[in-house]
Amino acid sequence: MPTPTIYGTMAEFKSAQQLLVAAQATHDAGYQKIDAYSPFPIEEMAEAIGFHKNRVALITLLGAITGGCLGYLMQYYIAVISYPTNVGGRPYHSWPSFIIVTFEMTILFGAISAVVGMIALNGLPMPYHPVFNVPEFVRASKDRFFLIVFATDPKYDPQATRQFLEALQPESIAEVPS
Amino acid sequence: MTTTPRLPHAPEIDLTAPPIIRTIGQRALIVGVIGTVVALYIAFTNPTVFFRGYLVSYMDWLGICLGSLAIVMVRHMTGGKWGTVIRRILGASMRTLPLMALLFIPLVFAAKRLYPWAMPIDSIADPIIREHLQKHTFILRDYLNLNAFVVRAIIYFGIWFILQTALSRLSARHNSPPVSDTSASSKRISAPGLILYALTVSFAVIDWVMSLDPSWVSTIYGLIFVAGQLITALAFAIVIERVLFNYRPMNVLLRPSFVHDHGNLMLAFIMVWAYFSFSQFLIMWAGNLPDEITWYFRRLHHGWEYVGLFLVLFHFFIPFFLLLFRPNKRDVRRLVWIAAWMLVAHYVEIFWHIEPSFSQSFTVTLADLVIPFAMGGLWVAYFCRNLSSQPLIPAYDATAQDILEPAHE
Repeated sequence: MPTPTIYGTMAEFKSAQQLLVAAQATHDAGYQKIDAYSPFPIEEMAEAIGFHKNRVALITLLGAITGGCLGYLMQYYIAVISYPTNVGGRPYHSWPSFIIVTFEMTILFGAISAVVGMIALNGLPMPYHPVFNVPEFVRASKDRFFLIVFATDPKYDPQATRQFLEALQPESIAEVPS
Repeated sequence: MTTTPRLPHAPEIDLTAPPIIRTIGQRALIVGVIGTVVALYIAFTNPTVFFRGYLVSYMDWLGICLGSLAIVMVRHMTGGKWGTVIRRILGASMRTLPLMALLFIPLVFAAKRLYPWAMPIDSIADPIIREHLQKHTFILRDYLNLNAFVVRAIIYFGIWFILQTALSRLSARHNSPPVSDTSASSKRISAPGLILYALTVSFAVIDWVMSLDPSWVSTIYGLIFVAGQLITALAFAIVIERVLFNYRPMNVLLRPSFVHDHGNLMLAFIMVWAYFSFSQFLIMWAGNLPDEITWYFRRLHHGWEYVGLFLVLFHFFIPFFLLLFRPNKRDVRRLVWIAAWMLVAHYVEIFWHIEPSFSQSFTVTLADLVIPFAMGGLWVAYFCRNLSSQPLIPAYDATAQDILEPAHE
């Protein structure tokens, strides 16, 4: 059996506030590849772990624009090219009547891209995640708060990082095998 | 949120409006007085042109006043820190209602210059309107006549006054200790108040704007104005909050998350406005009936179509697009530009609703450019007086306690 490589070092906290302070301190200490787990969303957390960019908005916008264009072109194709019908003597290309479907398609594609984009950017579905190798971690969905420093962080050092996290006074601390 | 009032302490920060508000008020008064002199000159030389511009301006400034009342009522119904932080700004603007009531009086005397239904029936220039009124005599007999017009206006203003004073009185209790919670009473006023607001504004707009063409009917018309009032009222409040943001206490109280909510609300109001406006257009365009489409026909020909296009782009698309981006909503220093722009764009919208009724081809009169400043100057001066007369935050309101605590970010 090969010796398991290290995924990171994880510290357990009792409250959201403690986690927030610890995450901020870790980020301030120069660690970049860190993450936090909590049973409920903590509004300030993204800021604290230095997570600024979120590409879901961009994906949603692109999806929405694509949907809008598709919706309009679809109607144009139907009404002008494929099956032109004279409705009350109006031009075949009567844009006002196209707007509603265009709008609906914009919303539909925007919403679908937001959901799919969010899932994809989160790396889901993910049948295996190393953090669950730590037995205490099950409480992350109940009443405990976790902070992890990934081994891929340039500043990561099993000993030094452990010492650093210990200084933050966690409930427990564990090395996460990958 | 705490339900039990906390110990009645004096707020640690000074909540009075900074002196800049007084300065703005004084300058606005100067602009207003100069504008009024010019406007009076127009009124005596060309009264018809004067009253057209007067009606456009009146609907615009009235919109800010009544829209503020509506947003205050929405805030009472929903709660939320976004509202606590601007409700005194909105309150100061809704308390300008006496001025708006006063400014309505000239419109009563000018009715025969503006509204076809108030003119002798043979002197109505537009043959469609004349024939319509001759054919359906009940319109003049039962609804559109000067007496009924005045009585209805008194009812509208009466309802607005009652709502405005009742809410202002409740709010004024929170200027001094002890800390009290009036949210239940505020809700009891606001819930029926919002329904009454939508109905009265709708009826008022039928009387004051839609009746410029008595042959034309649109059931969604009042709601287009409701949406417009919400946009301008919020936009005005954002402009003021930006000014206040340079000074204490607003520089510590106004947090990005509140501004974000204001930006999102602005986005929602703009979308609602576009939805109402486009619904009306689509239905009339699809119906293509002479009774309905003539209204758009007038507004989409002889130069007016460019104003219409301007509205589609600058009253909807561009602000909508800019408001999709978070940074534009979270920073009041950015949001203020969109808000200030909406104030201008909305004036153009009201102009486009009213002026084509008088002129086939596109025209801008001196009155259209001067009266908004004359009326606005006086209005802003009154607003600033109102805003300075009370603390910027109702400090002794139980629901305002959480925003007065220091930020833990």
